[in-house]
Amino acid sequence: VSRRQLFIRLLLKAAWVRKDRALTALISVAVVATIATAGLTVYYDLENKLSREFRSFGANVVITMRNGNLDDSVLSAINSKLSGKGDDVPVAYAIAGGPDNSRVVIAGADLRHLREMNSWWSTRTLDSAGQALVGSRAAALYSASGAPFQVQFGANKIQVRPQAVFTSGSDDDSRIYLDLPDFTRLTGMQPNTALVRIDGRPREIQAAVAGLMAALPEAEVKPIRQITQAQTSVVGKTRSVVLTASAIVVVMIMLCMIATFTSSVLERRKDFAVMKALGASNRTVNVLFAAEASLLSLAGAAAGYLAGSAIAFWIGKANFEAAIWPQPLLLPPVLLGSVLLALLASTAPLRLLQQIQPAGILRGE
Amino acid sequence: MFFRLLFESFRRQKRRKSLALLAIALGMTITTAMLAVGNDVGDKINEDLRRNGGNLLLTPIDDTLDVNIGGVNLKPASEGRFIAESDLPKMKGTFWGHNIKGFVPYLSDLQQVRIKDQLIHVEVIGTYFAQPLHYGKDEFTTGARSVNGWWKVEGQWPQDYPAWPENQPPDVLAGSSLARKTGLALGDEIELRGKKLRISGILNTGGAEDQAIVAPLHIVQQLLAKPGEIQRVVVSALTKPEDAFGRRDPSKMTPADRDRWYCSPYANSIALQISEALPNVRAEQIRQVEQTQGKVLSRISGMMLLLTIAALLAAALAVSAAMAATILERRSEVGLMKSLGASNGTVASLFLTEAGFLALAGGVIGFLAGALLAHRIGQTVFGSPIDVQPVVMALVIFAAFVVTFTGSAGAVRKAMRFDPAVVLRGEA
Repeated sequence: VSRRQLFIRLLLKAAWVRKDRALTALISVAVVATIATAGLTVYYDLENKLSREFRSFGANVVITMRNGNLDDSVLSAINSKLSGKGDDVPVAYAIAGGPDNSRVVIAGADLRHLREMNSWWSTRTLDSAGQALVGSRAAALYSASGAPFQVQFGANKIQVRPQAVFTSGSDDDSRIYLDLPDFTRLTGMQPNTALVRIDGRPREIQAAVAGLMAALPEAEVKPIRQITQAQTSVVGKTRSVVLTASAIVVVMIMLCMIATFTSSVLERRKDFAVMKALGASNRTVNVLFAAEASLLSLAGAAAGYLAGSAIAFWIGKANFEAAIWPQPLLLPPVLLGSVLLALLASTAPLRLLQQIQPAGILRGE
Repeated sequence: MFFRLLFESFRRQKRRKSLALLAIALGMTITTAMLAVGNDVGDKINEDLRRNGGNLLLTPIDDTLDVNIGGVNLKPASEGRFIAESDLPKMKGTFWGHNIKGFVPYLSDLQQVRIKDQLIHVEVIGTYFAQPLHYGKDEFTTGARSVNGWWKVEGQWPQDYPAWPENQPPDVLAGSSLARKTGLALGDEIELRGKKLRISGILNTGGAEDQAIVAPLHIVQQLLAKPGEIQRVVVSALTKPEDAFGRRDPSKMTPADRDRWYCSPYANSIALQISEALPNVRAEQIRQVEQTQGKVLSRISGMMLLLTIAALLAAALAVSAAMAATILERRSEVGLMKSLGASNGTVASLFLTEAGFLALAGGVIGFLAGALLAHRIGQTVFGSPIDVQPVVMALVIFAAFVVTFTGSAGAVRKAMRFDPAVVLRGEA
């Protein structure tokens, strides 16, 4: 048997003969790798996942023309800046007279589009053939039963047939939204405001707002700060909680793993003494123990990476209804970190053993 | 004999015992910290959001419609009804009064203001900045400074004058767009209805306030001759995300369901309680804020719950592995005891009693360390500590027992399966 064959045989036999010991060490490494992988994978994807949730907040930017209308060139400039990551609804506002001659704000927009944007509205559909969305307060005043009513602007009049009544808990509740062509026919006005929803992470939204400001010098671009700031703060805080908690858990479990490893090496002091008594050098013994630790931890880390990725995937599916995909970039640091830790945990007790005479250990002292 | 063995085992095997104790304590630290953080994170983020704007809107009932375009109130203050300012503290007396973190009243009107010898139409908004109030013995401070977290002031926030100051003109804020357009600077004076006001700060909100003068409520009430009256109030209340039950109409519920609904902090039930306490007030959730934030919050809580479960399982596995390792190491002891005539039961009870002591000590140490950690995590991330409920301690110690016993039981059974002679010869 050559030296090399003997070495490999010792290595594999040591693991195989005492399967339970090897398994314990393997599990302790795998647990560390699992939690590190799961925590970091979730952390990496969290900003995306949470920002996706914020889409349902609707418009987070309002663009108003200082003079003139929101014509096609401005709209296409907005759309090119959004480049598919967001949506916009042009709206026109005017003050009209209600049936009792009181003043009411009427607005014109693409109604289907507006309802999509304001998905948080609680709406009650009255007549799918109608062409107006009536705010709940306006509806209570003008058309409690949903019957058509008249609105006038200057000398023009229009019969408003409510499609639905909505509640928003904002100024919109006092407004009447007409289909844009009806609105234009009544008032002769074109939209000068756009409700814009920019999708993305807080940083991307900021960049898009800055881009819009630069591209539209003739318009006022105003982020709705209660919404954008809430997103920044929620996403930031959640990320730091996940990172801090995962870091703490990983450090604790790591210490646990070191304790486990250390005791499984100390358990083998007899093996160590026999080898030394048979003439093995300190170096050979060190290399043997180190190789064993690396092999075990490599297997454990690989298993842990798989398990951690699976946990992250499942958290995404179960909680965010969208998978959190594995991060291949995490694999090298997880493998390397686990091996380094295992080496550290197994060589420290070896150094301790080397100070004792092999004969002493064999006698059981 | 049993106790002597137990005692000596702790005295002589200090290293082994301390490694096992370390592992249990660490596992229980994780358990405590994660339980506390996972349980509290939703509340903490909710509180954070409540410093970032209100989620309920109060308006007077039987009002004429709001005439408001682009955030600018175009309805003259002479029209419509008002809410009595003196009623506002009553909100604190409602069932969920403690969940009401703050409120900001508004009274606004378009006015002619003389700025640098120019007469211009500007919206003048009156509000609380940090108004001290009391309800019964309960004293609190509320206003835009604590509720509207995105309002940024360059210069000084004005004080909330109880009455018109005699010696010098009262301080007000100028919106940033208005200041830019008119060249207003800190310390400048403006004139409104013959009264002088001093600009103490430039306000930047990103909203309609940027083009307005924002002044203490009592000053605006005097200017508009509307003492004690306000047009709307934005309330910031800690709420529970709405579920199917929360969305139901309370007027169609059975009395028991209605009680349960009334005593849950849903936005709708808090709104109902406010409208019961304040006469002639319509309270409504600001749906863009409330509906969507509730959704995000439940996602975050859900995620933390899943991460907590994963961490607890990991801690359990790690502790079990550590316990198994320390016992496997001692199989020659098992062999020796058995060859001296100890029964399997005696050996098992000796090992398990040892494990029990370790679990108790590890559980207590881990609980204390975990509580400390949770406290620190709260401080660093949220600026306020996360407190651990004492009941978690019982839970953690119980968990410590379960985990150490499962970890040791397997290893002890395994150690006893071997023939003592084989073990003692070192062949197992």
